[in-house]
Order: sequence, then structure tokens, then C-alpha cells
Amino acid sequence: MDDLISEFLTETAESLDVIDSELVRFENNPDDRAILDNIFRLLHTVKGTCGFLGLPRLEAVAHAGETLLGKFRDGELQVSPPMVTLVLESIDQIKVLLESLEATGAEPAGDDGALIKRLEDAAMGKLNTGASAEDAAPAEPEVPDDYDQDLGRELRPGEVSLADLEAAFQNAESDVPVENPADTAAAESEGHLKTGDFDPDLGRELRPGEVSAAELEAAFAAAEPDPGMEPGTPDLITKDMSTEEALATAMAELKGGGDAASAEGGPRVQQTVRVGVDVLEALMTTVSELVLTRNQLMQTVRGLEDDDLKGPLQRLSAVTGELQDGVMKTRMQPIGDAWRKLPRIIRDVSTDLGKKIELVMEGQDTELDRQVLELIKDPLTHMVRNSADHGLEMPEDRVKAGKTEKGIIKLSAYHEGGHIIIAIADDGKGLDTKRIGDKALEKGLTTHEELSRMTEAQIHRFIFAPGFSTAAKVTNLSGRGVGMDVVRTNIEQIGGVVDVSSTTGRGSHFTIKIPLTLAIVSALIVGCQEQRFAIPQLAVRELVRVGMGSEHTVEKLNGASVMRLRDRLMPIVDLQGVLRLDSGDPGEDEAGFVVVLDAGGRNVGVVVDNVLDTEEIVVKPLSESLRGVSAYSGATILGDGSVIMILDPNGLAGDIVSAMEEESSAEALAAANSDMPQTQRLLLVRAGGEEPKAVPLSLVTRLEEFDPDNIEHTNGHNVVQYRGRLMPIVPLGDQIQCTEGQRQPVLVFAENHTSIGLAVDEIVDVVEERVDLQMGSDREGVIGSAIIKGKATDVVDIAWYLDQSRAGDIQRRTSKRRRRVLLVDADAFARRMIAPLLAAAGYDVTPTGGMHEVNSIAEAEEQFDVLVGDPAALARIQASGMWADLPTVAVTDWPDDGSGEGLTAVLPRSDRSALIATLDQVSHQENAA
Amino acid sequence: MTGHQNDVNELSAEAVNEYVSVRIGDQLFGAPVNAIREVFTPQSVTEVPLAPSEVAGLLNLRGRIVTAIDARRRLGLPPREAGDAGMALGVERGSEIFGLIVDSVGEVLRRPSAELEPVPAHVDATFRSMVKGVHKLEKELLAVLDVSAVIGSAAGAEAA
Repeated sequence: MDDLISEFLTETAESLDVIDSELVRFENNPDDRAILDNIFRLLHTVKGTCGFLGLPRLEAVAHAGETLLGKFRDGELQVSPPMVTLVLESIDQIKVLLESLEATGAEPAGDDGALIKRLEDAAMGKLNTGASAEDAAPAEPEVPDDYDQDLGRELRPGEVSLADLEAAFQNAESDVPVENPADTAAAESEGHLKTGDFDPDLGRELRPGEVSAAELEAAFAAAEPDPGMEPGTPDLITKDMSTEEALATAMAELKGGGDAASAEGGPRVQQTVRVGVDVLEALMTTVSELVLTRNQLMQTVRGLEDDDLKGPLQRLSAVTGELQDGVMKTRMQPIGDAWRKLPRIIRDVSTDLGKKIELVMEGQDTELDRQVLELIKDPLTHMVRNSADHGLEMPEDRVKAGKTEKGIIKLSAYHEGGHIIIAIADDGKGLDTKRIGDKALEKGLTTHEELSRMTEAQIHRFIFAPGFSTAAKVTNLSGRGVGMDVVRTNIEQIGGVVDVSSTTGRGSHFTIKIPLTLAIVSALIVGCQEQRFAIPQLAVRELVRVGMGSEHTVEKLNGASVMRLRDRLMPIVDLQGVLRLDSGDPGEDEAGFVVVLDAGGRNVGVVVDNVLDTEEIVVKPLSESLRGVSAYSGATILGDGSVIMILDPNGLAGDIVSAMEEESSAEALAAANSDMPQTQRLLLVRAGGEEPKAVPLSLVTRLEEFDPDNIEHTNGHNVVQYRGRLMPIVPLGDQIQCTEGQRQPVLVFAENHTSIGLAVDEIVDVVEERVDLQMGSDREGVIGSAIIKGKATDVVDIAWYLDQSRAGDIQRRTSKRRRRVLLVDADAFARRMIAPLLAAAGYDVTPTGGMHEVNSIAEAEEQFDVLVGDPAALARIQASGMWADLPTVAVTDWPDDGSGEGLTAVLPRSDRSALIATLDQVSHQENAA
Repeated sequence: MTGHQNDVNELSAEAVNEYVSVRIGDQLFGAPVNAIREVFTPQSVTEVPLAPSEVAGLLNLRGRIVTAIDARRRLGLPPREAGDAGMALGVERGSEIFGLIVDSVGEVLRRPSAELEPVPAHVDATFRSMVKGVHKLEKELLAVLDVSAVIGSAAGAEAA
């Protein structure tokens, strides 16, 4: 294909996308001149370029659309939805023509007369004004295939000159002298250009007016921002342009328009260079090979003691890494690119269905790999369309339900860890639990009995179940009637997860979590029956050695393999069995490893023979022949040149996970519904009696042992010299039981640069348990009693002891009811720090890692007394209206950066006592209120 | 040499098809030259557990992953003897490369396309679906492989 044409296609496609979304914006803000000017300029450029490239059909359609827009611009016509629809139709027609141009290299034969006529009628002041309709009517039969014939002598001259002249006059008021030279000049250039293409008889009379308008408008567009440019303006157009020059101008203008568009549309005004995707892909492939070669080299050198080689190799390795990062960056695209078509889609849906919909988009600048972007584009579009189509109600129903007429679909994206989270929320009617349940029954996905025991959330998840939708094809998402199971499949194919939460009457909320990139990942190389496989590190939670003297063994439960991991049973998949690898020796239960994988959010263990290495691998897609095998997500070439398969955790775990998913979400829900606090790691100690006492482990800074001789008495306190300071020692029991010759175990708590020691008799164990306080306690220093490891155990109130050591002047409140705190912090470490602290201070803490968890808790309608967490998360919760009247206490490393606006209090993370004090204060206020 | 040249010139007067002659089992096949990217010896083929049976495995061809399809399995023939890796025809399809594993590769043959005869109807349907026609050579018959069918139906049938 002609280079010019292909460049034209690329640029025009982008312009049209912008026009699409801009028109929708314009429809909502008809008074915004900037938007209209932008649309006008873009469409004008498209038209101009078509003319220069000799594409009469495109030019005619674009021209008609532009004329109509010109009327809006001049204020002659009021913007109305049918008008915008009409313009959008012309854009669609241009797209159709472009597609065929792309496919065949030439414009298709055909006739756009009807569309152009409608556009013209609309431009003439609508169809109901008699004169123009009559004028137009006789022209209609004459509207023929070819462009030049299309120009009926009677009709077009008047019409075009009217539109154009009016536009010209409107614009030119202060600029009259320009008009004439421009007109003639353009006429000349037009004659010069088009003699070959068009009938001179017709063209001469007609075209001058038309094109001069185009040129004029270009001139005006250029002149508008700067009226002082008049002298330059005639220059621009009096010149008798050759085709190339004109084209160059048009192209330059096109680019200018594009820049202006992005400058207005968003903050991206960086200088850019346009590079073909294939160039980037080739670069990526080359870098991938480089990474592989580097790996290979590193492996070869690993055994050698050659320092001359090691230095340069280290540098090579570092440079390769940087190059890899750099190339990955070039592949990053803002997710907004995938959303660009959505405003138009929403608009169409809303006009078709008569709904009022507002599409809110947040985090368009969030970047992700273009490969991933391509893959989620269709699922996203589908989900948004679904929300508009099925989620939102009709305006009257909304009003009845006490909502605003206009439904809101909110699309947001943000980074979390190595992932990107995309949320699609609507404030519609929510999922129809009963219908989903009925359909699940009908499809044989569940039984009545099971269904009756399921929670709403579980039933909602059926929409993702394979076979739930009526659609048969997995590939085509663009059409309707394709279900969420296909969305889920597509998202899982790229290692993502999708989930839904929905509240009847309040809307549904879909979350998608996907990795940022797919191209290069860190992987664990495992061996099984002489074969090697790669497992993406992201999915690996831990490695456990089994058999041969290890404390862990794989056990059988009714034929299924399970393993005890920290007192929980974890399902086990035997790689050898799943992949049906030939077992050379039957003596299987030997030493091996269990790779604990995160498969769809659940732990699943995979038994392998050995763990060989970790390596950066370049993920290569599987060929068609292997795509049906769910156990693999791709293949890769290792440093030694051999090809190995990359295992797909979700595929491996397969049925196990889907079964577990329901089960454990039920479990999680049950846990959330009950008043039990979450599990905590507890240190079991003995002090002042035989019965064990429990201390939340994460509060303990260190465990120390001191020689009893070093414990001194001063001012009625026991102290010990510790790290150059005096540390008070408080007995956890009645008194310090010093046994001669034995070292005294002490739990050290550090806070605010001071440490205190809690002396115990013996450190017994560390357990992870759900602390279910069975009995409150009136005793000081004890929060209550719980059953831990089958024994009644006192849970120590560390805060009380801490206060004791500081002269104990603060009276801890002795509330009968433990206050509930929802802790939201994306940082797991921070959660681990804060949760036990709060628990020790007498609060029931529900730690959550992200909005996803928060949503499901909100859905379970749990009540809390106060919200604690990082400011961003709290702001998000407030914005979503959950627990609206609760106090919010933000804990952050940067309390002064102003992010805590609207929150009850913002505290530095390092100041534990301030946190407790604030919590006590706000939750008491809450109580009083 | 000159004789050969003449021969070529003579043939090129009419439409000529060029074939890489390959042997699969007892049968001589011809793979159209323009369908073949290259001929290589398959080395260190990684077997893929659970893969469709005709997928012999994956191999590394200068940094690209090639899916090896065993022509014998496709044609329903017994497997080669252990240790005989055979030869592979590299076939590019879209962005993927497939390696069609055959027993051995011979010389390039040229035949006038007019001489291509359809496969007789009583020949086995599987065979017929993968063969475009037959050329009559002096000593034996040359079955013209439909390379994309040999690879394609492997991909299509099993992926579904």
C-alpha cells in the first residue's frame, strides 16, 4: 500500500477516535467552544487530507459532517442529541470507508448520498423548514455514485457557498480583506489539483466555493488564536500549492491538531516520536534474546573463579537489566487508550435504551504493557457495556428507587504491587440473585440444596462460571450475548483475576487484577521426572520440603492428597499425576518439594521432585496446537537453550480451585459474619502459674535472656542495662522467679525509643490462632481468656504493662464492649504492625489489604466503631460512602503531606501511643454521640 | 550442467511446481518449496505432557520456539524407531513456526503443474485431506503435501 495512504489511515483512525469521544463530551457541554473547535479541526483535517489523496467518497462525507458542525460552531444551530447522532453516523461511515480502504487500498464503490443528504438537510436548518427540504428533494434522485456527479448544479452551489460563506463571514468579521484573495487562490489551487479528477465543467463552477471554505477555515483556524497574524494568513494560501506541499501542510496540521487535542484532553504534552509497533516488538524480542544470552553466560561463569570475566559480566548484566527496563517502558501505555472508545459506546447504549448514563473515568494515566492492554480491551468494553445495558435502570425506575435519573458507571484503574487493578462500578440495581440462581440451576451448575446454603456473593460468582452464558465462542467479545465466563477466561489467560460484589439496589462492582507485564517474568524452575518446568514467581507463595526427615508429609484423605501447613489442610496436586508423566520408579513417596501456589487466591500445593533455580524468563505464547492445554500459560527458552513449559497455576489446580473457591469464600464469609477477630500469631509463655499466657507476637520487639545477676533494683523497679540504657523489667507474673544459674527470658517491647522488658518464666511456643476471647476479664493486665491450642489461656494486655512501666498513671478504660476497628492498609507489613497493637489496646481488629476485601466486608454489612488505615484507602472508602459516619484515623509515614483531608485524624505511623490515644478519644466520642 | 540448464528452461516455459521431496514411512511426498521456510535437524525436542499426540514437542530454533508436529502421527503411521530424530521442515504460519517432522529429506524436484493429478477417491480420507494431488515419477508416485492442512488440522482439531 502507498506509504502516504497507510500513514493517513493510522493518523485518521486516531483522529476519529478522538472525535468520537470529543463529540460525546461536546453533547454534554454544548457551550464549550474548545471542544467543538477541536472536533472541527480534526474533521476538517481528515477532509482536507482525503481531498489531497484523491478519496472523493471520504471527502464528501467528511465535508457534509463538517458543514453541519460548522453550523454548531457559528451558533446557527442548537446542538441536540439527534444532531450529534447524525454527525456520529457520518464518522461511522468514514470508518467503514477507511476499513475498506485499508483492506483493498482503494475506496469502495458505493453511494453515501442518503447520509450526505441528511447531513445537509440538518445543516440547512433541519428537515422541517420547507424551503430547504423542497430544494433538496429534487436533488435526491440525482445523487449518484460519483462525487462530481453528486454535485447537482442547482443545489450544491447555493448550499455550499451558503454554509461556507456564512462560516467565512462569521469568522471573518474583523478580517474581511483575507476573504477574497483566499477564495481565488484556493480556487486556483483547486483547479490545479483537481482537473484530472473531476469534470472541469462542474468543478469550475462549484468546487472553488467549497474548497475555498476549507482553506479559509484552515486559515481561520490557524489565525484564530492570534488575530495579529493577518499578514501571514494570505501567504499561507495565496501560494499556488503543489499537491505535495498541500499534503505536507495538511499533515502538519493534522499533527498539530492531534497535539492540541491531547494538550486539551489531558496532561500529556511530552515530545514524542511515532514508532511502529512492529519495531517495538522486534526490539522487545531482541532484548529478550539478550536476557537469555546473559542468563546463559551467567550460568556458564557461575562455576568459574575468573575475576577478569566476572567484572565485565556483572556490568553486562546490569546494562542488560536497564535495557530491559527501558524497553519495557516503551511498551507501557496508559490504560486510557483502551477506554477511549467507551464514552461513545456508552452514549450509543444510552440513546438506544433511553437511559441516562454518566461515565466517570479515573486513573486513565495508569500504565500497563500494551500487550496486556490489547488483551483486556475487549473484556473491559464488554463489562462496561454490560453495566450500562443490564446494570443501570431506566430513568423512571431510578427515580422511583430514590436515585438520581442519571446512572453512573465508574471506571477506575490504579497500581497495587506488581498488579494493576481495574474497577468497574455502577450504581444500578445490582445483580439479580434469584435470576442467577435459577439460571445456575437450569444449567446444572448447582443443586437446589447447595443453592439454598449459598450466600449472595457466592451466587453472584456464578456469572463467571463456565457455561453460564449462552455464548458458544470464546474469541469474539465484540458482539452481544457473550457472557462473563468469557471475560473471566480472557482475564485468567493473562494471569489476572476478576471478581464481583453487588448489593441489590445499590449497584455492582467488578474488579480485575492483572499483572503489569507478561513479557519477562521471574520464574522458579522445578524438576519432575527428568523434565523441567517454569512456575511464575508471582504465583509462588512458599516452598516446603516434604518427606525424608522433613516435618511435612503429604497425606491422603479419601484418595485426595493434602498437606498440613501451619495447622491448615492444603490441597495438593501431584505434578507427575496431573501431567501424566511416566513414572520410572514406583517408590514415589520420597523427598521432594511442595510449591505452594496462589491459584485464584487460594493456596494449592504442587508436588515436584526438586527445585532447580530461579531465572528471568521470556514468556513466549503457545502455538495454536497447545493453547487448549490449560496446564500451561506459555513456553520459554532457558539459559542453556532448552525449551521448557511454563505452568499455569490456575490451570494446574483446575477443578480443585473452583471447588475450593466456593468453599473458602463461604468460610471467609462465615468468619467475617461471626464476631471472631482474625487470626494472630501469638507467643505462648508461662509466668506466675502453670497456665499459659498469650502475647501477640508482632508486638514483641525481641526475645532476650538475661543473667539474673544483671537485673538490678533501683527506685523500686527492676532494671537491666540493655544497649547502653536502663530498661525496666516488669514481671508478667507476680514477681520475677529467678532460678539460680538459669537465664531469665524477657520479652522486649520497644516504643518511642524506650524499651521495657516483660519477664516470664518460660517461652513455650508460637502459634497462629484466631483469638476468640471467650471471657472478658476484670483483672488488670489481662484482656481476657481464649482457647488456644485447646487450653484456656489468658491473653496479656501488653498496653497495661507498658503503662505500668511508665508509672502506670494512665487509666485504661475498662469497657465491657470491645470496639471494632476496620484496618485498611495495602502494606501487609503495616497491617501486621498495627493490628496487634490495636488488639493489645483492647480493640477488635479486622485487617484488610485493599478495597476488594473492604467491599466484601461492607457487603456483609459488618459494623465498626472506627476506621484506621492509610489515608488513600480511607479516602476511597469515604468516597464510596461506606460507613459514612464513622471516624477515620489515618496512619501514614508522611502525616504532613496534606493527603488526610476530610479524615478525623492523621497520625505518624511511628507514634503508637498517639494512635491509641486518638482511637480511645474518637471511639469514646462516638460512644457519647 | 548445460543440459540441466536447458532442462530447467524447457520446463519453465510452462508452469512448474517445485517440491522438497520427503519420505514419511514408505511413501514419497513433495512439500511445495514456497511453503517451507527451511529444513533442519530437530534437536533436543522438549516433550509436552498432555499435548495432542501429533505434537512431538517444542524445540529451540535460533531463539524461536518451534512446535514440532510429527507427520507420521498425523498420517496415522507407526512411530519412528527410537533414536531416529528424523528431519524437520520449518513452516511459518502467522507469527508461529511449526516444524513438520518427516523421516528424511531428499532433493528438490520440479514438475509441471499440469501433470498434477487428483488423489484417487478410494484412498483413505485422512490421507486425502492432507494431500493436494499426485505426480507420477518414473519409479514411484509423489504425493503433494498440503502443508498447511497437515499442520493446521492439528492445531484446529485439538484446540477446540
